[in-house]
Amino acid sequence: MMLTTTHLLALMPILLVCATALVVMLGIAWQRHHTAVAVVTVAGLSLALLSLIAVWGLAPLATPMLAIDGLSLFAATLILMAALACTALGHAYLAHHQGPREEFYLLLLCATAGGMVLAASTHLATLFLGLELLSMPLYGMLAYTYRERRSLEAGIKYLVLSAAATATLLFGMALLYAETGRLDFAGLTASLAGSPGVWSLAGAGLMLAGLGFKLSVVPFHLWTPDVYEGGPGPAATFLATASKVAVFVVLLRLMLAAPVFGEGWLHGVLAVMAVLTMLVGNLLALTQANLKRLLGYSSIAHFGYLLTALVIGEGLAVEASGIYLVVYLCTTLAAFGVVTLVSSPYHGEDAAVLHHYRGLFWRRPYLTAVLTVALLSLAGIPFTAGFIGKFYIIALGVEAGRWWLVGGVIAGSAIGLFYYLRVMVTLYLTEAGMQRRDAPANWGMSAGGIVVLGMAVLIVVLGIYPAPMIDWVQALGMTATG
Amino acid sequence: MEIAFYLSGLVAVLATLGVITNTNPVHALLYLIVSLIAVALVFCALGAPFAGALEVIVYAGAIMVLFVFVVMMLNLSDTVEAQERAWLKPRIWLGPSVLSGVLLLTLIAILWLGDGGRVIEGETLTAKAVGSILFGPWLLVVELAAMLLLAALVTASHVGRLSSPAGSAGRREPDARKEAS
Repeated sequence: MMLTTTHLLALMPILLVCATALVVMLGIAWQRHHTAVAVVTVAGLSLALLSLIAVWGLAPLATPMLAIDGLSLFAATLILMAALACTALGHAYLAHHQGPREEFYLLLLCATAGGMVLAASTHLATLFLGLELLSMPLYGMLAYTYRERRSLEAGIKYLVLSAAATATLLFGMALLYAETGRLDFAGLTASLAGSPGVWSLAGAGLMLAGLGFKLSVVPFHLWTPDVYEGGPGPAATFLATASKVAVFVVLLRLMLAAPVFGEGWLHGVLAVMAVLTMLVGNLLALTQANLKRLLGYSSIAHFGYLLTALVIGEGLAVEASGIYLVVYLCTTLAAFGVVTLVSSPYHGEDAAVLHHYRGLFWRRPYLTAVLTVALLSLAGIPFTAGFIGKFYIIALGVEAGRWWLVGGVIAGSAIGLFYYLRVMVTLYLTEAGMQRRDAPANWGMSAGGIVVLGMAVLIVVLGIYPAPMIDWVQALGMTATG
Repeated sequence: MEIAFYLSGLVAVLATLGVITNTNPVHALLYLIVSLIAVALVFCALGAPFAGALEVIVYAGAIMVLFVFVVMMLNLSDTVEAQERAWLKPRIWLGPSVLSGVLLLTLIAILWLGDGGRVIEGETLTAKAVGSILFGPWLLVVELAAMLLLAALVTASHVGRLSSPAGSAGRREPDARKEAS
């Protein structure tokens, strides 16, 4: 199948992001200007977001190796929103950074394009390239403030471990290719129908391990807290939101397409991984004294909940995971956004230790309110968006009668409540005379501040009136399966 | 052709074992070159001479030479000369030479028997076929690979930067290098 004009039109969002990356690169080569580069980045990402509306009329459409359907448009929207938020946060964060600041946006744009390709891929080649295009710039973003020992450590740790995971993924793909001779998902599914052989199962298992690493599912989760803690705020935000959304969507697409995951022992492995991820993530978060590490463990737990939807994989599974992803994205952007703002502008290590946040309420009441809303939403308290997401997951589990998974979600949420409340208590304690970090006085006026406030409002609005979100996800989900 | 395939496959495995068991980087690299050439011959036997040629040109040619140069340049002590002599012991070059000899004999045998167009299974993939796939349906993938290389390059240039203040990066570099060494 050759590329036609219609295909190119449908790929417009990806092409726009790539074009913006090139413009930014040429701009940097010509003259460095931090704010101008950030504005160009925001303009490009917004254009891509707008072009999604135009592309909506073309969906569903299968271009060679990429599918422009509801699922990929949904993922593209979330990824672009996360990228916009990270750009705004990055502008505040890097304002006083010594050394070049503009490359950050170039890397961010490349990673965004990679995430969009990954979420739309229907071919192992685009899956691999998308995943690499998503991870490769992230190495640079995580090690961006490389004079900081921890930032460099985070970058190198992610580089080495992620390369190992990619090798696993490639080996799995090679086994599947050796068995079936096909690389496209449809061909793979057709060849694997019936009873898959040992080699196909091994291939699928290896691919699952590779993708599970990127999602930090439990046996492959060890890198997460260190990388979240070390990476600069905006980079960690991007890693926790856009990167995970893209990988989860491609995993969802694989699960919907491939029968290998539907039954048999691979399905059992997935269910065990889901329960383990929820429990281990939450238990390890209990003793953390560092907010970024705590959020890292909490994101592990949240992907455990999301895996539940994948394991069940029928009925409302696509809708539930869609809604959970929206909720997770808003909440994580708000929580990491506050951490980034408190650490902005960059001077040395990020302020993430809990005692930095002690008594934050008495200095920055609105910022504290945002963080409180985000933590309540992460815990799944009613009247926040997090509750709607958890409600969907539990309803899905109850309907399918998977009591172990439901039990895991409930136990995990109960444990989670404890450490989220612990952070909240710290926020409202009286100030100690310790050294403290603070957000700049005019944080509410900066682009990053507006993003964070917007996310907090969104969390509350979606928690009280979730109907538009549900309708939107339903409409997109229709074209995903069709 | 089956013999050529299995023989070069065996050479590839043996040479790769040589790579990971050798303690000296240069010796390991010699084995790595042999391993890459063997893989190129495997590609030829499988009916992808274009991929085989690329393997020789890009990996065994360009990248490996770069590797060897960098490794040799890093050894800048007084013992370099003694090391050079030690590197040229027959015990060191005998292994790679024998393995390369096997590959050479296989190649000559194939050419001598005149069945260069035959493959182990399937049909021969020519450079034209590869090109029309890459710049037809796979066009987007090629462009994405370009973006990937751009991102890798920017990452490397950013993290590899020696001096911090923007604008004076070029001028201050020699000083910083002096400090580092």
